[in-house]
Amino acid sequence: MIALRLRMTLPAVLFFAIAATLLAAQMPANKDSDSVAIKQCVAAWEDAWNRHDAQATAAAYVQDGDFSSTTGVPSHGAKELEAHYNEIFTTFLKDAHRTDQVRSIRFLTPDIASVDIDWQMTGARTRDGKDAPNRKGLLNWIVSRQPGGRWMITIYHESAF
Amino acid sequence: MIANPSRIVLAMLLFLAGSPVISRAQMPANRDADTAAIKQMVTAFQDTWNSHDAHAVAMRYVEDGDFSSVKGEDSHGRKELEEHYTTIFTTFLKNAHTTDTVRSIRFLAPDLASVDIDWLVSDPNAPGGVLRKGLLTWIVTKSKGQWMITVYHESAF
Repeated sequence: MIALRLRMTLPAVLFFAIAATLLAAQMPANKDSDSVAIKQCVAAWEDAWNRHDAQATAAAYVQDGDFSSTTGVPSHGAKELEAHYNEIFTTFLKDAHRTDQVRSIRFLTPDIASVDIDWQMTGARTRDGKDAPNRKGLLNWIVSRQPGGRWMITIYHESAF
Repeated sequence: MIANPSRIVLAMLLFLAGSPVISRAQMPANRDADTAAIKQMVTAFQDTWNSHDAHAVAMRYVEDGDFSSVKGEDSHGRKELEEHYTTIFTTFLKNAHTTDTVRSIRFLAPDLASVDIDWLVSDPNAPGGVLRKGLLTWIVTKSKGQWMITVYHESAF
């Protein structure tokens, strides 16, 4: 009877022990590959933006993503985000080109990170169609890892200086 | 006897399913209290800032907190943070007064939130009395029951 009990309990003990070890061991190794994946996410977004593809630019956000402009005007969720990008790509930023360079990544949990990105922009216009000076500043994103491993934008803030 | 295989499987399933269910069920009640606590923390930061006490302001951050200025200049950790606040409080912001109003709070985890704060810095000597205004965006974390600033960004417009 004792042997039978042991045979039944052992798998359970092993299960918990292995699960705990795997969870703990995964974190440092993943951080490097996650940093790479986050940089790829930034590069893919930059590329979509430079193609002026509003749908693809908005699709880099989670479904209920948050955007806030350099003047603090917010857009929330996929529909508003796409409308926002459509608006800027057909008006004062229709000839604009941007460059985004990741400055730093700070992991807040294994699945959530804060990312600082230096940005520059050429080809912007004023609202009445005149050439505007080149712009630059800092983006601060909160990105989250989705089931399947893809990193997406949860919150986007930007400042210009 | 006791060690019935189906009971072991049941225990494993309960273990796996239990933790998310419990933490999810706890969220709504805690969230109101945490929202109130975060707002109080923003008010406390504002009051500390207005007393121009560089050390006390730096202590509102976690030990390895990150600050980034309106020009994207970084300060990292309490020592650098205190130096930064000492500089601004003894030079161009020595007569300044800030008003910080929470605009929105988004919880990223039970102990982690992003906070947007409308800010306005006034100075009797500035044109119109306003030196600066814009948006503060903080990432705050709860540690030992207390909400603190982990990452601070600001933009002026």
